[in-house]
Amino acid sequence: MSVDITSVMGMNTSQPPYLASDPMGASALPNKHLLGIEGLNRPTITSLLDRANQFADLPAREQLSHLKGITVFTIFFENSTRTRVSFDLAARKMGASVVNVPVATSSIKKGESLIDTAVTLNAMHPDILVMRHHNSGASLLLSKYVNAAVINAGDGRHEHPTQALLDALTIRRRVGYIEGLNIAICGDIANSRVARSNIHLLSILGANIRVISPTTLVPTHITEMGVELYHDMEEGLQGTDIVMLLRLQQERMQGAETPSQREYFRRYGLTREKLSLANPKALIMHPGPMNRGVEISSELADDVERSLITAQVEMGVAIRMACLEALAFGLTKPDQRNMK
Amino acid sequence: MTASLFQHVQIIDPASNTNMVGECLVEQGRISQLSDQSGSIKAPKDATIINGNGKALIPGLVDMRVQSCHPGAIHKETPLTLARAAARGGITSIVCLPNTNPVLDDPEMLKSQCQMLAGLSEPLKALKVYAYGAATSGLDGESMAELGLLADGGAVGFTNADHSISNSLTMRRVLSYAAMLSQPVIQHAEDPILAANGEMHEGEHSMRLGLRGIPDAVEEIVIARDLSLLRMTGGHYHVAHISTAKGIALIRAAKAEGLKVTCDTAPPYALLNDIAVRDYDSRYRLSPPLRHEDDRLAVLDGLADGTIDAVASDHTPQDRDAKSLPFGLAEVGYSGLETLLALMLSLYHGGTLSLMQVVALISHHPAQILGLNAGQIRLDAPADLTLLDLNKSWQIRGEKFASLSGTTPFEGAPVQGTVLGTWVDGIRIYEAG
Repeated sequence: MSVDITSVMGMNTSQPPYLASDPMGASALPNKHLLGIEGLNRPTITSLLDRANQFADLPAREQLSHLKGITVFTIFFENSTRTRVSFDLAARKMGASVVNVPVATSSIKKGESLIDTAVTLNAMHPDILVMRHHNSGASLLLSKYVNAAVINAGDGRHEHPTQALLDALTIRRRVGYIEGLNIAICGDIANSRVARSNIHLLSILGANIRVISPTTLVPTHITEMGVELYHDMEEGLQGTDIVMLLRLQQERMQGAETPSQREYFRRYGLTREKLSLANPKALIMHPGPMNRGVEISSELADDVERSLITAQVEMGVAIRMACLEALAFGLTKPDQRNMK
Repeated sequence: MTASLFQHVQIIDPASNTNMVGECLVEQGRISQLSDQSGSIKAPKDATIINGNGKALIPGLVDMRVQSCHPGAIHKETPLTLARAAARGGITSIVCLPNTNPVLDDPEMLKSQCQMLAGLSEPLKALKVYAYGAATSGLDGESMAELGLLADGGAVGFTNADHSISNSLTMRRVLSYAAMLSQPVIQHAEDPILAANGEMHEGEHSMRLGLRGIPDAVEEIVIARDLSLLRMTGGHYHVAHISTAKGIALIRAAKAEGLKVTCDTAPPYALLNDIAVRDYDSRYRLSPPLRHEDDRLAVLDGLADGTIDAVASDHTPQDRDAKSLPFGLAEVGYSGLETLLALMLSLYHGGTLSLMQVVALISHHPAQILGLNAGQIRLDAPADLTLLDLNKSWQIRGEKFASLSGTTPFEGAPVQGTVLGTWVDGIRIYEAG
């Protein structure tokens, strides 16, 4: 079943009128924070995707002022290039002020606890906090100690909601729809927040999800999430429309969770040969950063006909603009917050 | 020492299977008369008369698993707050784990642990404090501690506290040597390598939450190995805070086989399951982790059929800082002394266990396992007694605890069963306000 999003949204018009003037086109998220995909419903997700789709069509140098006066803090306890830059850029494009809180050189490294950090940052009255942390549940904990809206930019092995949203937007813009697509998520599921968020989101949007992974990289009970599980990649790829690869951390390749890098590539690395078992026009995605020659052959990664990897990065900015806007829309006015 | 006469009390003594309304006279710290007739015991002149109004008089609780935090962590619990919390909880004897700092691997350290309340004022200092000796030096898990000297110093058993003795050779030697000394070996049954970095029970919820799982097999593996060793060495093997269906099944079979095996659990494993972790609330970060509902039901079955011999508070005080962290970084444990009795009574009120069973699990049985002269209401026994209103309800609120640690996975839970008074050797150490 195919829904032509472009015609519904009129996305090909050169300048959507509602972006030209002040009133916001987005609706607020049902919750104050964006901590995960689990718990969001289909209309909410669809409205975020619709809005991001509009942002994605804006001219590259378009500067908006929807979030003028809003302050966004990004605080990344784990290294990140693309996600952080993407949030930073999205906030700036929306007219917000951005503060990138350095973690490596700050008191956080000196043993200050997450909560102390949160309380300190909260005293500076940010409107939105974007956080990545190496522990699952950290963003939920943060949200309990701050007045700001919190966006989870990845918490441990739990969720990475904006990644899943940008993946969905990428698919929607390329294929036109998500409902009914066969999507294979391949690789290190056990340690992946991207996998969890994508399984939730793509299932909500009606895709059929299968997971392809060696037994040691898949959490027990994964099928409780309504996915089909394959250990044989060649079998799992048959009939798929989208092949979503996950990054395999270096330290997991050397005999710990998998025997070796070359064995992993042999069994789970995507090559043109393996891809030929999928549907003829099957597309490849990867949240990055890629390990060429581990999850994917270098040649496929650069195949613009099949690879959506660059488009994913591009959609990241649009999605984050939509998420920031949706949360900002739900914020109480600063003077009201100061009264608390 | 003055005498006390308990009048019109419901005397419940599991050891003699007594459940009668009557009277109990305490003289010189010992129970000197018992009667099932009201008004039949003549009070000595100076006796304090306690009118029970039909309330229950049970043996004082014997809590066989307590982390005292003294010495080494008195910011989490001090001897004074520990004693107050125990007294409020109706507990008259506590048995401390050796994972203090320094470790109780030296007889002098152990003696000083047992004397830790000596500096307190009357009457709290009367609370009885026992301790396990460290099974291995410095709890290193490799070299046997001075078990004989520790036993001479008063150790009531040997354990590596919150870690398994995972080296099979060490465990064989500890079991064997402890058998010679007629002392039990208490094992925290968790294979440390398989449990590596685990944050919660491995199952559907750990998968959804993205928390590293601790499979139930960690307990089964250690118990199965230990039982094999026990067949070689003989002696008394005790599994602490058992939490899995698999572990309980092994203990059940070992008992049927005739091995000298006992085990205890703690209230969270009988009353909560891993769903509680859903909001990453660090109050539910415990060791062992909260298990699957099937495991919880197995714990209830084990309590009901006697496979599980005892229930301990597993009191592991943590300060707020240790819990105000992302789930995986938070310390394990909770404050348990003040809720042990009421939580166990919920199993009686809910119809899972008889009143006699509940009382036995928290007084007579742990005393029996460790060979303590406690946990009974009989003539000439020490007058360690707890008077309680079985039905009076209250709400668990950590901030109201006498313990320095107010962290409890039962925050807000309504319970039934209120301690009215606690006596140790006839000395009243707690009176409900």
